[in-house]
Amino acid sequence: MTYNAVGKPIGRVEGPAKVTGAATYSADIQLPSMLWGKALRSPLPHARIVRIDTSAAERLPGVLAVLTAKDLPDLLIGRRVYDMPVLAKDHVRFIGEKVAMVAVEDPDLADEALAHIEVEYDELPAVSDAQEAMKPDAPVLHPQYRLYPHAPAQYFSDLPNVHSHVIWQLGDVEQGFAAAAQVFEHTFTTHYVHQGYIEPHASVVAIESDGRAHVWLSNKMPFRTRELLADAVQIPQEQILVHLIPIGGDFGGKGSLMDLPLCYHLARRTGRPVKMVMSYAEELMAGNPRHPTTVVLRTGVTREGIIVAREANVIFNSGAYAAFKPTPVVNITGASQAAGAYGIPNIRIDAYSVYTNCVPAGHMRAPGDPQVTFAVESAMDMMAEALGIDPLEFRRRNLLRDGDRLPSGHPVEHVKVQETLEAAVHSSRWGQSKPRPNVGRGLAVSHRHIGIGDANAQVTVEGDGTVTLLTAAPDTGTGSHTVLRQIVAETLSMPIEQVRVQVATTDAFEADSGAGGSRVTHVAGQATYQAAEELKTLIREVAAQLLGCQPNDVTLSGGRCAVAANGEPSLSLADVARAALAHERPLTVQKTYRVSEYPHVTGFTAQAVELEVDPETGQMTLLDVVTAHDVGTIINPLGHQGQIEGGLIQGIGFGMIEEMRAEEGRVSTLSLGDYKLPNIKDIPPLKTVLVQEELGPVPFQGKSIGESSITPITAAVANALYDAVGVRICDLPITAEKVYRALQAQQGVGEERPGEDRRGR
Amino acid sequence: MTHTIRMRVNGKDYTADVPSQRLLIDCLRYDLGLTGTKEGCSVGVCGACTVVMDGVLVSSCLTLAVLADGKEITTVEGLAQDGKLHPVQQAFIDYGGFQCGICTPGMVVAAKALLDQNQNPSDDDIKDWMMGNLCRCTGYYKIIESIRGAATRMQTERVS
Amino acid sequence: MNSFEFRQPDTVEEALTLLHDLGEDARVMAGGTALVIMMKQRLVMPDCLISLQKLRGLDRINARNGEIQLGALTTHRAVERSEVVRSRLPSLAETYAHVATIRIRNVATVGGALAHADPNQDPPVILLALDAQVGLRSTAGSRQVPIGEFFTDYYETVRQPDELVTEVVVPVLPPRSGSVYLKFLPRTADDYATVGVAATVTIDPATGTCRESRIAMGCVASTPMRAPEAEALVRGQRLTPELAREAGILAQRVTDPISDARGSADYKRAMAGVFVRRALEQAWQRALAAV
Repeated sequence: MTYNAVGKPIGRVEGPAKVTGAATYSADIQLPSMLWGKALRSPLPHARIVRIDTSAAERLPGVLAVLTAKDLPDLLIGRRVYDMPVLAKDHVRFIGEKVAMVAVEDPDLADEALAHIEVEYDELPAVSDAQEAMKPDAPVLHPQYRLYPHAPAQYFSDLPNVHSHVIWQLGDVEQGFAAAAQVFEHTFTTHYVHQGYIEPHASVVAIESDGRAHVWLSNKMPFRTRELLADAVQIPQEQILVHLIPIGGDFGGKGSLMDLPLCYHLARRTGRPVKMVMSYAEELMAGNPRHPTTVVLRTGVTREGIIVAREANVIFNSGAYAAFKPTPVVNITGASQAAGAYGIPNIRIDAYSVYTNCVPAGHMRAPGDPQVTFAVESAMDMMAEALGIDPLEFRRRNLLRDGDRLPSGHPVEHVKVQETLEAAVHSSRWGQSKPRPNVGRGLAVSHRHIGIGDANAQVTVEGDGTVTLLTAAPDTGTGSHTVLRQIVAETLSMPIEQVRVQVATTDAFEADSGAGGSRVTHVAGQATYQAAEELKTLIREVAAQLLGCQPNDVTLSGGRCAVAANGEPSLSLADVARAALAHERPLTVQKTYRVSEYPHVTGFTAQAVELEVDPETGQMTLLDVVTAHDVGTIINPLGHQGQIEGGLIQGIGFGMIEEMRAEEGRVSTLSLGDYKLPNIKDIPPLKTVLVQEELGPVPFQGKSIGESSITPITAAVANALYDAVGVRICDLPITAEKVYRALQAQQGVGEERPGEDRRGR
Repeated sequence: MTHTIRMRVNGKDYTADVPSQRLLIDCLRYDLGLTGTKEGCSVGVCGACTVVMDGVLVSSCLTLAVLADGKEITTVEGLAQDGKLHPVQQAFIDYGGFQCGICTPGMVVAAKALLDQNQNPSDDDIKDWMMGNLCRCTGYYKIIESIRGAATRMQTERVS
Repeated sequence: MNSFEFRQPDTVEEALTLLHDLGEDARVMAGGTALVIMMKQRLVMPDCLISLQKLRGLDRINARNGEIQLGALTTHRAVERSEVVRSRLPSLAETYAHVATIRIRNVATVGGALAHADPNQDPPVILLALDAQVGLRSTAGSRQVPIGEFFTDYYETVRQPDELVTEVVVPVLPPRSGSVYLKFLPRTADDYATVGVAATVTIDPATGTCRESRIAMGCVASTPMRAPEAEALVRGQRLTPELAREAGILAQRVTDPISDARGSADYKRAMAGVFVRRALEQAWQRALAAV
C-alpha cells in the first residue's frame, strides 16, 4: 500500500535544532544563580562508614552546601525495588557509590570541596563474582532485602545474594532430555559494557517560590521520574514538573533518577537551582552498565537433529544494588531468550540476579538479549558440528513456526523467521567457495517482541489550520517525534509541514510509560493514530455541517475538506477550525493507549557474517555483514534504517571491541581513551535486507526495530571465526588476543615467553 | 587569576573575564551562552566539543580559554548564514546523519572543515578526517552518506 | 581544575628565565592536550603554567646539512603535511599522521609530546629508528641528547626542570634506505597502539645485503626501546623471511611490557616479534625501491 506521509524518508522534525546546536539538552540548561553539584564517591567496594567529617569542606569559601545521608530522609530508592540509599548511610557497597555531595558556585571548586571531606571506612570482605556471591560463605550484601519496598516476593531465593530468581517453563524438560539421543552442555560468559551515549547524565532542579520543583533530566521516562522522585524526596507528585528535553542517547541507560534526588536536596538546602553533570569517568565507574552474565545451556537433541529440551541457567551480576532494574520481577527478562528463535517443546530457564560489590547494572538496548543469544546461537553451531549437520540446516529444522510457544507461554503468529534467515543467507556469500584461507562465515538468528505500555497523545486543529500533536514521548534520538508526526499527517491527509510537534511536560497527561522496551512506535504511535482518527471524525462532522452533506461524504486531502463526490466546494482546515470554535466544540482530541499483553506477532533478525583472521595476530576483519529483518510497514525508512545500522555497530562493539575492565569491583577503564567505542574507520560493509509484509500492531501495520540488530551479530561473528580458523570463543569480548592464544594452543606452539608477566589480565 | 580575553566567535566579537583554569568549552557554553558545543568524554577523544580555532579543528574541552585570546573561533552556531543552513547541516537532515544529535555539533563543524579543504573527498578521506568524532547512534553509515551528499551539492552549487 | 598563575612569555629567553626561577612549581605547556587532561584529573596541580604559545621561531621545519630539523613547537599536523619531511623522510611524516585524531595533531607539538614521554606514543618509536637527536636549552646553555638516551622511565626524561626541548634533529637516510612505522590496532582506529614498531634498513648496493638496520619498539617497556641483537642479526645479511622472523624473536626477548586494556604483557611481547618481522620486511621493500 502506498501512503502520502507514511513510508517516506522524511527528515527529522527536530533536525534544524540539532544541526545548529539550538537543541537544548539537560547540561545546557542555564538558570539564574544556578549552582553546581558534585558527589564524593566511595573508593572501596565494601565497607562500613565509620565517620564522615564535612566541616573543612563547609568552611571553604564558595561551598554553599555539603550534605550526607544524615541530612536526608532515611529511605531507599530504585526503579522498582527500593534498595539503594540516595547517599550511602552506614555502608558502601561498590566503588563509586555516592557518599556525600556539595553545591558550589564555581564548578572548578567542586573537586577541591570534595577533597576536603574526610571519610573513615572500615573495610569489609567484598565479593565481585556473581557465582561466588551465591555460595554459602559469601558476604551477604543486603541481609534485609526481603523487606525492601517493592521487593519481588514471588521471586525470592534461599541462595545468598540472589535477590530475584525467575523461572520460565514449558512442557517437561526432564522428559525432553530422556527422549533426546544426545544431551549437550555449554557455558558462556559475557562482560560489562556501557551504553556509551555521548551525553553523560545531567540533572537540573529549580524549586520555584510556590515550592514546585522543576526538573530537567537526561531520562526517557518523565512520568515515572515524577513518581519516583516524589517517593525519593517525599513530596507529592503534583509538586514536581518534569520538562521533556532531547536526550543525548539512552540505549536503556537513562531510566533512573541518577543524581536527581541529590540535585533536589541541594536545591532545597541552598534555595537556588542546582545542576549536576556526571563526568564520563563517573559514567564508566557508576553508570548502570549492561549485566555481565554466565549462561549455562543444556540441550537435548534427537537423532534427526530436532531440539527437544533446553535447560538454561542464566546468572546476572546485578552489582551492589538492584535499583536500576525497572521490571516488576527485578531481573533481566532477556533470560527468556534462552530458547532462541526455536520451537522447543520442553524448556526450563532459571534466571538469577545476584548482588555483588560491583557497579549496579541496569538496562541496555535489548537487556539480556545479546548475552543470551550469544550463548544460544554459538551453541547451535557447536551442536551442529557435533551432530554432523550443516549449521543452516540445523537451524531450519528447529525454527519457530506459527502457533509455537515462547518460554513465556506466549504463542507466536505470522512467523517469518525461515524467510528472514533465507533472506540473510541469500544476500551473503554463504555457500560460495572461500576466496582465501582464514576466511570464515557464520550465521545467527534472534527475535524481539513489540513493546507494550501506555502513552498519550493530544491532537488539535489550530486556528490557522495547522495541526499540533502534543506528545510526551521523549526524544531519545530514535526519531519518534517524526514518526508520530507522519502518523498524524497520514491520518489527516495533510502535508507534513502543516503538522507541528509540541513536546509536553508531565503536567499535560496523567502517566506514560516513556521510551524503552521497543514500545514507542507501537504504543505512542497507537495513541497518536487513534487521537488523529477521532479528530478526523470530528473534522468531518463539522465540515459536513458547513458543506451540507453527511460526515461520511467528507474527504480529507492535502489539508482540505471536500465533498467526496465532486471535490468542490472545499474548505481549509482553518475554515473548519473557525466554525468549530464558533460552536464551542474545539477540534482537539486526547487519547490514552494502554496495552499490557505482548502482541503475538514478533520480529525476527537473521545475520550473516564473513570475516578474515590474521593468524599471526588473531585480528579479525569483517569482510561482509548482512542483516535481515522481518518487518511490517515502515513509517520512516530513514529512521528505521538508522536504527538497524546503529544497533548493528553497537552489537559489534559488544561482541568484539568494548570492555569495561574491572578487577575486584574496581573499574580500570575510566575514559573513552581506555573504553573504546566503535570508530568510523572500523565499520564493515553492511547490507540490509527487509522481509516485508504489512502486518503488525504498530499503526499502518508495522512492528518495532530499535532493539533488533544488536542481538545476533556477536554469535554470527563467533561462528564465522570458528569457520575461519577453528577457534571457538565462549567468553566475551572476542578479541584478537583471545583468538591468537587459541591459535597458539591449537598449534601446540610454545610462545617465546622469557620472564613471563603475570600482572593484570 | 583572572584574564580578560577577546575572541571573535562566529564573526562576532566577545570579551570575557576568565580565570586561568577556565576551559574554552565552558567559556563558550557558559560565559558566552553558546551551548551548541557539547561536552562528552572530557579527554579529547569523542569530538563532541569540536570547534574551529584560527582555522583548525581543536578539542575545546582541552583548550584553555586564555589561549583563545585574539583568536577566531567557529562553533556549530556559526555554520548557518542568514538563517539558511549550511549544505553540510542540510545534508545531515536529508541523509539521516544524526539521531540523538549530541555528537552532531562536533560532527558538522568537522565535516564542514573537511569540505573546506577537500571538495571531493573519497570515503577513505572522510573516514580519516572524521575518525576523531564518535557517534553512538548512527553506526556512521549515514554520516558518511551525509558528507558525500553535502560535497556533491556544494560542487553543484559552485558550478551553477 | 585548580587555579594557577598563567604566564605567556614572548621569547625563549623569557621562558627559560621563568623556568629557572619557578622551578618545580611551574609546568610548561605547549599544545596542552596531554597536560590539560592530567590537570583535570588532578594528577598535576602546578602553581604556575608557562604557555609556550607565543614563542616564535620554534615551529619551523628545516632541511639542512642532510638533516631535518623540527622545531619543538611544530605541530604533529605540520610534520604530517610537510613536503620537506614527506619527500625526505616519508616514514617520519607517516608516523606523525598516525597519532590520535586530527584535533590532537593540530595542537600537540613535537617537543611537548617528547617531554610528556608516554611510552605508548608513536613518534618516539620512529625517531628512535631514525637516530634522532633532541635539542634542549636552559639559561645555562644548550645540549643535544640522542633520542635513545632521552627517555628514562614512564613519563620521565633527562630534561631538567629548567630546560625546554627546542628541537628534534633527524638525519636523512642514506640512499638505498627504507623506513616504516607499523601501528598495531586490534581494537579501534583511534586507540593507542598495542605495539608500535619502526624499522629502518640501508642496503649495500654492491652486495645486496643490509649495511645498517635499526629496530625500535613502543608500548613494550617503560620507554621506547631498540632491539640491538635483532639489528645485529640482520646487519650484513640479505633479508629473508626466515631472518626477519628470527629478528622478531630476538626483539621480543628484550621487551618488558605491562598488561592493560590494549593487551596482556604476553600478547604485546608476541606481537612485538610479529611486527618487528613485518616492519623489517616492509622497510626492506622500500629500500629496494629507493634510489
